[in-house]
Amino acid sequence: MIWNETKECMSRDEIHKLQSVRLSKMVDRVYHNVEFYRKKMQQMGLEPGDIVSIDDLKKLPFTTKNDLRDNYPFGLFAVPQSEVVRIHASSGTTGKATVVGYTRKDIDLWQECVARVLAMAGVGPQDKIQVAYGYGLFTGGLGLHYGAENLGATVIPMSSGNTQKLITMMQDFGVTAIACTPSYLLHIAETLEEAGQINNIQLKAAICGAEPWTENMRKEIEAKLHLKAYDIYGLSEILGPGVAADCEYHKGLHVYEDHFVPEIINPDTLEPCKEGEVGELVFTTLTKEALPLFRYRTKDLTSITYDKCECGRTLARIDRFKGRSDDMLIIRGVNVFPSQVETALLEIAETSPHYMLIVDRINNLDTLEVQVEVEERFFSDEIRQLESLTKKIAHVLQSALGLSVKVKLVEPKTIQRSEGKAKRVIDNRKLI
Amino acid sequence: MIKQLSVFVQNEIGSLANVTSVLKDNMINLRAIASFDTPEFAILRIVVDQPEKAKEVLNAGGFAVKVTEAVAVELEDKPGELDGMFRVIADAKLGVNYIYSIVLRNGKVPLMIVNTEDLTKTASVLKEHGYIVAEQEDVNA
Repeated sequence: MIWNETKECMSRDEIHKLQSVRLSKMVDRVYHNVEFYRKKMQQMGLEPGDIVSIDDLKKLPFTTKNDLRDNYPFGLFAVPQSEVVRIHASSGTTGKATVVGYTRKDIDLWQECVARVLAMAGVGPQDKIQVAYGYGLFTGGLGLHYGAENLGATVIPMSSGNTQKLITMMQDFGVTAIACTPSYLLHIAETLEEAGQINNIQLKAAICGAEPWTENMRKEIEAKLHLKAYDIYGLSEILGPGVAADCEYHKGLHVYEDHFVPEIINPDTLEPCKEGEVGELVFTTLTKEALPLFRYRTKDLTSITYDKCECGRTLARIDRFKGRSDDMLIIRGVNVFPSQVETALLEIAETSPHYMLIVDRINNLDTLEVQVEVEERFFSDEIRQLESLTKKIAHVLQSALGLSVKVKLVEPKTIQRSEGKAKRVIDNRKLI
Repeated sequence: MIKQLSVFVQNEIGSLANVTSVLKDNMINLRAIASFDTPEFAILRIVVDQPEKAKEVLNAGGFAVKVTEAVAVELEDKPGELDGMFRVIADAKLGVNYIYSIVLRNGKVPLMIVNTEDLTKTASVLKEHGYIVAEQEDVNA
C-alpha cells in the first residue's frame, strides 16, 4: 500500500518544484537561526537569496559529524530549546555523543516517514508489530514505535534483549510484523527452529535495518520464516530510521525526497557523481525544524537512480550500501569507531594503545573481540592479575561503546605496527 | 632464594616452542618449567641457569618477562617429605599459589619450587624447621 500517494508518486517536475520552494525557505531560516551556518555562508560569500532552486544546492557547504561534535550538544539547533520535545543521541568518534533534537513537527514528520515505510511493507492497522530495536537514546526503537502507532498498527514495544519473551509473545499474541536488525531476526529464526516452533508463528513482514545486510540474508530470512523482509535506512543526524526504505520489488531504497534531498559525491573530490555511479551519500533536510542540516556527509557508499519504480513510486532510489568511506563499524546495530576503543584504552593505565578489533558473525550475532597487548611493566607473575585486567578492559570498553566486548590479551609487539594508517580492524563478516 | 622467570604466552599452537627456541639459540639451559591451562593465555614459569641473560634475550624476542624470586626447597626422595613442607607453610598461615619441581639435578635431591604470598617468611619458616632452601648458585651448575 502507498501511504501518501501525493508525495510518493509526484512527477519529477513536481518534486523539483517542491524541493526548490522548501530549500530556499529552509536556507533562509537556518541563516537567521544557526550561527555556524551563517558564518560558513558568509565566508563563502553566500546569501539566503542566492538559493532559489534545488539546483543551487551544490553552492551550500557540506556538514560532517565533526561539525556536530564541535557544536556539542545543541549548537546546531535552529529553534529555542522550549520548542524541542525530544533528544536522541548516538555514539561519536571520540567518546562524545552525537546529539540530535526534534520539535513536535519533526516527530510528526518522522512518524509520517516510518508509516510510509511500514505501509510499503504491507503493514496496516490490522497488524500486530513487535518493535525489537533498542528503546532509549538510540533512534531505532522509538522511531519505529511512533511510526507504527501513526499507521494504526498494534505496537508491542519489546526493545532488544529477551528473545524468549519475544517469541512467547509473538506466538501468544499472533504477531504479524516485526522490526529489528536482520542479524537478530536470523537469531530469532534459529531459536524458533531449535524449539521446533518455526511453523508456529504468523509473521508476514519484517522491517530490518540499522546494520548492513545482503540479498542472501534477505533470502535466508524469508525462506526460514515464510515472510517478506524489507530494508529500512536512516541515520539520527537526518531523522532516524525512515529516511529511505525498499518496496516489494527490492530495487533500491526509496528516499523520501519531499523531506530529504540525496546527493552522491566523490568523497575525495567532493564533486557530484553521475546517476548510477558509486560515491558517498549526502543528505540535505528540507523540513526539519530542530536540526536542519545542509549536505550532511553520511560516509555511506552507494549509488542513486531517478527512474520510476515498478511499484509506482517516483522517488529516487539508493542502491544497497557498498560500504563506508570512513572506518565506522556497525556491530549489532551499534556504531563503533576504532578510535573510540583507542580513547578508552588510553584511559586504562595498564594497556598500550596497540589493539586490534576482530569482528565476526557467529550464529547470526555479531561479535567483537578486542585484542590488547600485555605491557611488560604491568605484567606480574599472577594469573589473577591478568584476569582482572581483562575484566577491567572489557568493562571500560563496554561502557564506552555500549556493546559487550570480548577482550583477549596478546603478547607484546604481536599486533602489527604499520607506517601510516594502522590496520585496526579485521571484519570477518561477509556482508557485501 | 632462586630466580624464576614468568613469561606471558598466548594459548596458541607453538607458543611454548617460541620461548624454548629463543633459550636454545642462546645456549640457556632450563632447570624447571611449569605451565597451567587457561583458555586464552598462560604464564609460563621457568628456572634457568642464566636468568638475566634469559630475560634479555626473551625481551629481544618480544616477550613480556618478569623476573621474581622463588623459594626452592630441597626434599628427600621419601614418603611424607612434601607433606612435612606443606604443614610448615600452613602452620605459618601462608597460602600456596603454585608449586612445581626440579627433579633432575645430577644426583642431588629434587627441589620443590613454591610460591606463596610471602616468600621471605616462607623461606625462613622452612629453614627454622630444618629444610634447605636453595640459592641461585645451586641451580646454575
